[in-house]
Amino acid sequence: MVIQQHTITTTQKYNFPHPTIDTTLPQRLIQLSLQTLTHTPSISMQLNQQPCNIESHSLQLKPQPILLKPKHTPTIVAAVDTSNIKIGETATGILIAIRGANIWKQNHIYRYIRLGPFIFHTTEENKKQLYTTLQKAYLNTTHMQTTPTLQQMPNRIANLLEKWLQTMLTKTINNGLILFDGSLTSGTPDTPTLHMRETLQTARKHNNTILAFSKMTNLRFNGHLITDIYPKHTPPYLIEAIGLKPKPPITLCGDIYVARLTKSNCAFRLDIDKELSPQQKTEAVEKLLGNDIITQSYPETLRLAHILCTFTANEVIAMQHYIQRKHRLRLINRPDMHKLLFGPFGKGETNQ
Amino acid sequence: MKLYKKEGNIIQILSFPSETTEKGDYLLIEDTDAQKALIVQVIDTQFASIPGILEELLRSLPDGGQPIQGEDLDPLEIAPHITYIQDASLLICKIRATIENNSLNPSTSWLPSRSQSTVRKLSIPALTKLAKTDGKLPIQLGATKDASLLTIDASSLDGRLNIITGKKETGKSHLSKLLMLNLITYKATVVVFDLNGEYQSLGYTSDGKRNAYHDKIHVLTPSQNFKAALKQLNLHVLLEILTHALHLPGTSAREFRRIWRSLKERDMLNLHELGEAIRNWHCNQHVRDALFSRYHALVNSGFFTDSISEATLLEESLLKAKQQGGAIIINLRNTSPIDRQIVVEYLLAKLVGLLTSDRLKAIFLFAEEAHLYLRETYWDDIVTRMRHFGIFTTFVTNQPDTIRENIYRQADNIFLFNFTNEHDLEVVSRAARVDAETVKSIARDLPPHHCLTLGKVVRDFPMVIKVKALDVKTMGETRLFFKDVN
Ligand SMILES: Nc1ncnc2c1ncn2[C@@H]1O[C@H](COP(=O)(O)OP(=O)(O)O)[C@@H](O)[C@H]1O
Ligand SMILES: [Mg+2]
Repeated sequence: MVIQQHTITTTQKYNFPHPTIDTTLPQRLIQLSLQTLTHTPSISMQLNQQPCNIESHSLQLKPQPILLKPKHTPTIVAAVDTSNIKIGETATGILIAIRGANIWKQNHIYRYIRLGPFIFHTTEENKKQLYTTLQKAYLNTTHMQTTPTLQQMPNRIANLLEKWLQTMLTKTINNGLILFDGSLTSGTPDTPTLHMRETLQTARKHNNTILAFSKMTNLRFNGHLITDIYPKHTPPYLIEAIGLKPKPPITLCGDIYVARLTKSNCAFRLDIDKELSPQQKTEAVEKLLGNDIITQSYPETLRLAHILCTFTANEVIAMQHYIQRKHRLRLINRPDMHKLLFGPFGKGETNQ
Repeated sequence: MKLYKKEGNIIQILSFPSETTEKGDYLLIEDTDAQKALIVQVIDTQFASIPGILEELLRSLPDGGQPIQGEDLDPLEIAPHITYIQDASLLICKIRATIENNSLNPSTSWLPSRSQSTVRKLSIPALTKLAKTDGKLPIQLGATKDASLLTIDASSLDGRLNIITGKKETGKSHLSKLLMLNLITYKATVVVFDLNGEYQSLGYTSDGKRNAYHDKIHVLTPSQNFKAALKQLNLHVLLEILTHALHLPGTSAREFRRIWRSLKERDMLNLHELGEAIRNWHCNQHVRDALFSRYHALVNSGFFTDSISEATLLEESLLKAKQQGGAIIINLRNTSPIDRQIVVEYLLAKLVGLLTSDRLKAIFLFAEEAHLYLRETYWDDIVTRMRHFGIFTTFVTNQPDTIRENIYRQADNIFLFNFTNEHDLEVVSRAARVDAETVKSIARDLPPHHCLTLGKVVRDFPMVIKVKALDVKTMGETRLFFKDVN
């Protein structure tokens, strides 16, 4: 298996796992991280807000669910997640930390690669340059309608890392299931449609199926959240959602399902690559059922990916300690530790 | 270290892994603005309740129990900072005193500034200098953890009630020996109730040569070189022995008094005549039987004699000790429980007699496992009446619940060795000079030969010491069956 080529020697220098992977983004992350921490420019405050309405609401649920049977054909299950958190404020900006993890389960064993934390000192002054440099390093576009606000920066930078980690999996795994956190919706500021299509294409080329689980959805049917609807069937099953017409440039690259995978009250929105045949789609979910532990409709591999990159309050303190010791940056406002409570599907403070 | 919290007289201090502090250590919290400092003692160390630790521990254990293997690419090297924070500890400290204008006061009520105060270790020498624990009659007890010597002053034992307690084999008797040997070098008179015969060889070095104490150690073995002459015996003392040690009923005791008086009038007080008198006395058969059985017990103890010359050693030794200092070791090793009580009853009466008639100044009494020979009514006596006469007792025991609660309350000094038993710790915690938290948290972790010293000898600054070794022949070792086989 390709995945076993991930032999990483832990040297003093930073080593990236795979020779065919473009490591420009992580390199830039480190460079920029250190750069923003050492250069503290003067202030000029300005706020701009950006509307974030993505999905439209002409949605229908197919009345007949797709009933599933676990398929035990040995298949690698891999997952990606990233996390970001604001760890404090300085006189000129905010300090953010991001971290990402790839995890895969093969022969009942979980293995992971975790990247970070990377810490950035973003200010009104440097945010544009910081973001465009990273975007260019990875997405190879400078396409940007608006510069993100300071408050959006943590999510945006984490997103870039997440995209990079996703690509890494689609290229290194064969015949596997790759679980994403989120949807397959593109055309948003941080997910160009071209890039999403490329990712799905690469996955297909390696015979991988991408399954994107959303922890939260705002899709409604008859006024109810689609994940709150209970047809009288015994899980596991999928219900297809149809008729969704997003406003351009927003594009749906996946078909949308409500996935109720265990006999619990939980259900998730699941997006599966549009280009796959209905059988391929169903089979992918059935293989997931046969190869991963599913708790409350949620795959363990993806849950572990969340857990691995989520920041604990202790780590936040440690990063504050690092910043003050190493970079002599003075924090003027620290996040309230009591707010840093993480549930099993939780992310950082600023997410969602 | 950083001041974190104060609740009553407990201070919590946050300490990082690079700062090694242990239970029992003293810290100085200095507030330069207030020109005051607090002396606090670490009584417990805990994990600092760092938020998020549980999550961190949990995520290393996924479903199914198998740990996840993986690589962490941590280019900024944050991981060491995480473990640094994770390993931060909280020092729970008890306020012992305040330093103001270079002098100590027991105040615990002021609040040092959290942001301005500095916290640093206070070495034991610095502390003892502040507390002035040493004096003109130094006794080196042993070494503290920072390898400095702890010296106390013999006068802080004078007139005091002390308790040495701890589990078996932790070094209680050893400390008791160290204290008494130091006392006799300062010319004190010491009496030891040596239950196991382990004080007999204190006059010899470990390789069997006579040592500096040799002429001051007087070993008295009951019914061998230590006897009581019937003629010299006070009727009152004998009646105490009969009623308390031998449980003679009151009516019989009254008959005994008459028999004794009649013999004394006729100057016929000796063992044989006493037996004859009981045999021929006109009285109830039950009374006669009761008297006879007690008479046989007295005779069989071998402790009583008709020969005055056989009964002089105790007084001689005591008077010699009064001159030049010395210890009278009452070897109770092969003495039966009843005979032990007879001997102790006799001896205490004798000592009170010598003290009240001013023939002795004062004595230090060391009593090992006193509950095995000291009758009920003496316990209160020892802390009140006898102390008043000049008997200053040190109880040595591995069963702390055999010492009465009021003795703990009145104890001036407690030398506490390791205890693991909750009940034992509970008992000791009742001592007035100490707070229960300190006792419980420190005593549990004491290694052998280490004791927590509490009370006047350390000016109420509890200190842990490793008791120093003694170059004397000890006989405290347990007799082992297989010892010679190996
Ligand atoms: N401070 C010490 N240094 C060296 N040896 C010691 C020390 N304290 C005790 N010992 C030895 O340890 C053993 C047990 O001590 P002991 O005083 O008899 O214990 P305990 O009276 O508590 O049962 C003895 O052999 C004694 O000589
Ligand atoms: Mg002993």
